[in-house]
Amino acid sequence: MCDVIWCKKEVDGSPCETVNYLDPFCFWNWEGTINCAECRTVYYIHMIQGHMYKGPEERPGEEPDTSPLYADKPLEGYRNYMFATEGRTRPFECMPRSFLLGEADMVKFSIRGKPVRGWRPQPESAGIAGSFPYHWDIQNLSPDVWEEYQEKIRKGEVSDW
Amino acid sequence: MSKKKDPRVTRIEDLAGPKSPGELEEMKMPYEEYCRQAFDPGNEAKKPESLKGIRWLSCTMYIFTPHSAANLAELGAEVIKIEIPRMGDAMRHTSPFNEAYLYPLHESRPMTGTGLGFTNANINELYLTMDYHIPEMVDVFYGLVKMSDGLTELYRPGTLDKWKMSYKYLQEINPRFIYVWGGGFGYGPKVFGGSYDILGQAHAGLASITGMHEYMGGHATKCTNWVIDWASGTIITYGVLAAIHWRRKTGLGTMLEVSQVQTPTRFMGYSVPLYGRFGIVRQRWGNWDTQLCAHGIILCGKSDYPDADNPQEKFDARYVMVSAFNDPDFQELCSVIGRKDLWDNYPRHKQRLEAEAQIEVYDALEQWAADKTRTEVSDALNNAGILAYNVKNHREVYESEHLRQRGTIRWLDDPLFGDLLTHCTYSTGLMSKSPRRLKWQWRPVGADNVKIYRDMLGIPVSQVEDWYEKAWI
Repeated sequence: MCDVIWCKKEVDGSPCETVNYLDPFCFWNWEGTINCAECRTVYYIHMIQGHMYKGPEERPGEEPDTSPLYADKPLEGYRNYMFATEGRTRPFECMPRSFLLGEADMVKFSIRGKPVRGWRPQPESAGIAGSFPYHWDIQNLSPDVWEEYQEKIRKGEVSDW
Repeated sequence: MSKKKDPRVTRIEDLAGPKSPGELEEMKMPYEEYCRQAFDPGNEAKKPESLKGIRWLSCTMYIFTPHSAANLAELGAEVIKIEIPRMGDAMRHTSPFNEAYLYPLHESRPMTGTGLGFTNANINELYLTMDYHIPEMVDVFYGLVKMSDGLTELYRPGTLDKWKMSYKYLQEINPRFIYVWGGGFGYGPKVFGGSYDILGQAHAGLASITGMHEYMGGHATKCTNWVIDWASGTIITYGVLAAIHWRRKTGLGTMLEVSQVQTPTRFMGYSVPLYGRFGIVRQRWGNWDTQLCAHGIILCGKSDYPDADNPQEKFDARYVMVSAFNDPDFQELCSVIGRKDLWDNYPRHKQRLEAEAQIEVYDALEQWAADKTRTEVSDALNNAGILAYNVKNHREVYESEHLRQRGTIRWLDDPLFGDLLTHCTYSTGLMSKSPRRLKWQWRPVGADNVKIYRDMLGIPVSQVEDWYEKAWI
């Protein structure tokens, strides 16, 4: 965390006392508005190199640009808002930023012609709690790719190096 | 009357094997053949593993600290990589260029893969997910600590202490526990400073002596790859192996604290002592050498592959390393390039080591090479008995017969991700009795949850599924 916004806004006669965490991935160099995860008060901040250059200043009536990564209530034990709590903390999509999104160049075979699991989506093959087996059963999971591989073998397009 | 052999007596001449020191010498196989049989690249799986029986927890991310644990796993330790639920190590989301991914990352994320940037840093490990900082999971984490030999973590100093998981706490649970912190600066000024490879190259002054001098158009330079991440991770592993040996003697664990921005000082040779003795700040000297001349990399005029599409081949296949610093070699070099005047001017090594002399020598070499390809240059010099070698690109590394014969570069049929070309595990030298090996590159996030939570810790599957639903694991 590069900094926090400790929200002291009076809500129903008592201070909000929510610590909103500002993660360096998003906020290291950042200017804009951000909501408190608990009372949704909007604050303006300007951070430069992880330091709070300006703010936090309240901006009533404005829409927040983003939300904190995570927030908790340290004075109330372990109550918190985990990341990606809708409307409170920042949605977590884990997709590359827009300028990095290009046309996917996915592969099914390595340069020597053997199958490599480089395309999406892969068929479901996980077990309990995300567990995976130790073997990629390509013949059953992706029979079309398996067939393509057999064809490559027949044509002599698979080599040792 | 001939003397009959007494069957009850075993005579030396009846035994198999050499009968004299001379015969013994004759029966020994040639040394090269002996080495090939002793190391036998490609058949590592038939041999035992030196660290079998060691169990390690890897609470790490990116390259530096994960690599320290991967070193143990390659040597046979059972390493459990603990990752953030449903996301995993941040390095999984880093890839060198568009779409060098292997799928899937996790069962809930069919459209997200693990980037090739993750390669080699987490070899042979078991993959567990756990949000161990939520209070409900701390006891589960302690359960793992009780049955493990050590842990590597990379959080800001004091973070695990805040969660009651630092060495202070864990040694009370398991006094034999070896605890490794690896990160940016460690205690001292900038204790909260994070770390990157480039920060290490800068902070320790390594980048200041890499690259050509500004006089020659150069700049302080970082190595393109994250060498300090990989090298610092290996330095941690030395420490861990020493700690394991210490524990055999004393029965007690220990704590290692490795600052990544500190380790590059190990690669700076005499630079700091030079300053201490004379007050001289060492200069960059790039592709040339401050201690030997001629002993550097020169640029040739023509590419070996002028028609290639790839710019790395079309334009950059022009560099050759040349080493001819002792007097006879340098004299021969001057003769080959038709500049005997250089030998007349600089017959002693001390003379040609001077900066002005080096500028003249390398300039003459590059002028001679201006109308040649790098292979023509290296052939001409090799034929004259001078060491010269093409600076290879990575396609040429792949095609290198030397690296193939020794098993350094090889294809892995990864059990889960298919055909992968690898170069890391087998780059560290060969061991005849208990070699390193690569079993799998990595597994999806949480791929071994059931194996560890149920089979190892004895937690009921219903509980595991409940945690999974809550994204605690």
